[in-house]
Amino acid sequence: MSYGFEAINNNGKVIINDKIENLHFVGKATRGSNNSDYGNFPTYTGAFDTLDGRVIHYYSITCTGTPIVFIKPTDYSRWHGLIKQSVSGTTWSFDVIISGTSTSNPPDLYCFVNADDAPVGSENYGMQVFKSNGTTKTFDSRSQPLAITGGGNIIPPSDPTNSTGLPQSTSGHPWNTATNDHDFRSSNRYNEYNNTNINTTNTMFSCPSIAQAVYKRRMDGFKQSQDYGQPTQNHYSTAQWFVMYRSAFRLRNNYIDAGWTGYAAGYSFSSSFEDGGWFGGGGGSYSTGTMPYDPKTINLQTNAYIIADSSRYN
Amino acid sequence: MSYGLSIFKSNGSVGFSTADVTWQTLDQFTVSANATVSNTYSEASGMTIIAQRQLVNVPPNSQEDYVPNVTISGTTVTVSPQSGLSSSQCIVHVLAQDT
Repeated sequence: MSYGFEAINNNGKVIINDKIENLHFVGKATRGSNNSDYGNFPTYTGAFDTLDGRVIHYYSITCTGTPIVFIKPTDYSRWHGLIKQSVSGTTWSFDVIISGTSTSNPPDLYCFVNADDAPVGSENYGMQVFKSNGTTKTFDSRSQPLAITGGGNIIPPSDPTNSTGLPQSTSGHPWNTATNDHDFRSSNRYNEYNNTNINTTNTMFSCPSIAQAVYKRRMDGFKQSQDYGQPTQNHYSTAQWFVMYRSAFRLRNNYIDAGWTGYAAGYSFSSSFEDGGWFGGGGGSYSTGTMPYDPKTINLQTNAYIIADSSRYN
Repeated sequence: MSYGLSIFKSNGSVGFSTADVTWQTLDQFTVSANATVSNTYSEASGMTIIAQRQLVNVPPNSQEDYVPNVTISGTTVTVSPQSGLSSSQCIVHVLAQDT
């Protein structure tokens, strides 16, 4: 550059100049209500009933510009994911999913916007850097500029379920079989990424949840009655368990894990037998939840994560 | 630190230090549903570039929402729908690291 300002660090890396826009702290989002559910399959009791559970916390903030959101966990052992971001006017809303069903220890959300959109307050001293057009601000020391202390690309594994292999649909089970044999939890399914700047005291991260998945286990049962000189009667049953997942992330000392946590789940069971035979036809069924789409993983792509020290912005 | 800039808060603690910074924001922009956008950042020549995506104004449940692909070639970042799929509105946050 022939004129202007440039700051470099010890390694000679350019940190501030008139071209690179820095983000600045606009505030913490306000936490509202929450929704806790899916610690197990609704209405089902039996083997592999337990799920990871999840809480969705709802936040909002009013600001100009488009905020980049960092999640600062309170309980670092839980998985976190920003699953929704929406805007109405200048009010932004965020849905954050957390593994487990306890509504205590919700995370904080730190929001950052471009320098031009960041509040300045009443401070009269400091340093501003503008682009060569003289109007677009790239840095303002008064607005708590963001220092990104680490980052990279991460991706969760394609299979969100703890059991080996994806759950399948199988037939040939005894009539009225309704015993799940697949562990739909996700606690053991993640990819870990080393980053020595991560700690479980002050580190916050930004990495939106873009990957989704839906998987089901289905068991079809059948029985044919003995005829004893009468026409045979066919009996059918179907038991089905499904879970919808969102990608989620966990911070450990020196690591960020990219994994999953369940968002919704359902269970259905139906049993029927055809007309004829000694007792006539009939049956029954019940179900909970609606599987949102056919089983698959979507948006399984690397997404950039960044981390920062939350204590700088308290 | 030998070089750079530190900014202190009124209580004397460090609020910002170039010594801590690893990645920097190059740009952030919103891509409409099904749109293709390509931006070139000549100021990031020689830097490593990554991009973060966040769907915006879409429901998280009961709907297949597809993020657009991001391809990075040199200093050009291209955002486009996944092949054969409709992409949802998406915020793209472009970051660079002076390696």
